[in-house]
Amino acid sequence: MTAFERDGSEVEALLTDLYLESVLARAGADYGPADARLDPALRAASDRLRRDLVRVHPSFRFEERLATRLAEAAASLRMPAVAGGEGRVVPFLRQPAFGDEGFDPLTTDDPGDERREFARPLLIGGALTSAALSLAGAAFVAWRRTRPGRAVSPMVRAARIVRQSRVTAAHPGRLD
Amino acid sequence: MARPVFGRVKRAGDPGPSRIAHLDRDRALVEEARRDRARFDGLYRRYLAQVYSYAFYELGDHHEAEDATERTFLAALSNLDRFEERARPDDGEGASTFRVWLFQIARNVVANQRRGRRRHPQAPLEAAAHVADPFDVEGRVATHDEAAAAWNAVRRLPADRRRALVLRFVEEMSTAEIAGVLGRSEGAVRVLIHRALRSVARDLGRGSGR
Repeated sequence: MTAFERDGSEVEALLTDLYLESVLARAGADYGPADARLDPALRAASDRLRRDLVRVHPSFRFEERLATRLAEAAASLRMPAVAGGEGRVVPFLRQPAFGDEGFDPLTTDDPGDERREFARPLLIGGALTSAALSLAGAAFVAWRRTRPGRAVSPMVRAARIVRQSRVTAAHPGRLD
Repeated sequence: MARPVFGRVKRAGDPGPSRIAHLDRDRALVEEARRDRARFDGLYRRYLAQVYSYAFYELGDHHEAEDATERTFLAALSNLDRFEERARPDDGEGASTFRVWLFQIARNVVANQRRGRRRHPQAPLEAAAHVADPFDVEGRVATHDEAAAAWNAVRRLPADRRRALVLRFVEEMSTAEIAGVLGRSEGAVRVLIHRALRSVARDLGRGSGR
């Protein structure tokens, strides 16, 4: 994309935004005139979405049930302020349903990037595998150090015999 | 749209005179709820349908939307002291940073729920395909072909574009508010919505041309 095309696209985005903001400001009134430079297809699509994407209301039963639950939670939160309530453990958020222990709803981790949602298990899996390999390696080295004579290859044994014979020839009186 | 709330604002360390600015239209309700958590009900009633709608469009399932809504409001109630009002004059009339904060929580809760759903699928694929369309689930506009076509066009968008359109058209948020919820710049949100609308226009155009 050239700089000219990019600028044109940004201008178009700005025009669309101005139109949408003006529609929002009129809240429920007629859509009104749009900038002549705005692509009619974009305007038609936005008018269509404005008309067809309706707000969905929950059931009255759910609304009242949650209101009751919030009132109970609010009362629990006020409890420590009451005399004798200090230090009391307040059961508040219910047990997480999806194993989201430690999840902080106020911490943004860019859920918009869906790739991260797939990447996370792979990362954990990789880390676990890596840690397991490291532990196995450390255990093997420790085991190998405590047993120096057993797992010696024929080649190492031959080299040791040669070295031993040279030492003996050079220092006849030396026994090791 | 709510009546705008004005207040005198003075920046810390600024020796100049204070100025008049828009304030969070939920300020009074938030302050009441902070003083007495039982008064949180006012904020809850004001935003219940909005949070539920957002969750419903994101998750496509009535029960999961209820679950996400419940978690969102419980988290907001218990963390109300952590909310900081950051209203700016540029946010415009009727802007609410509380609403932005609430939707940030909702966004995180919904994302967490989606991750959980991937790890623990709870419905067979045929059922998932059926409940993926909120219009079918609710049975409100099942016969409304045009509405279903519009939603299908939105549903086919990448997640960030779909989310931006839902916040814009269902929740009627301004560009500044959407930027706050999605954690992006206003310019980026403008481009996101523009591209999303282009895709939807193409999709709807193809549908009507058939």
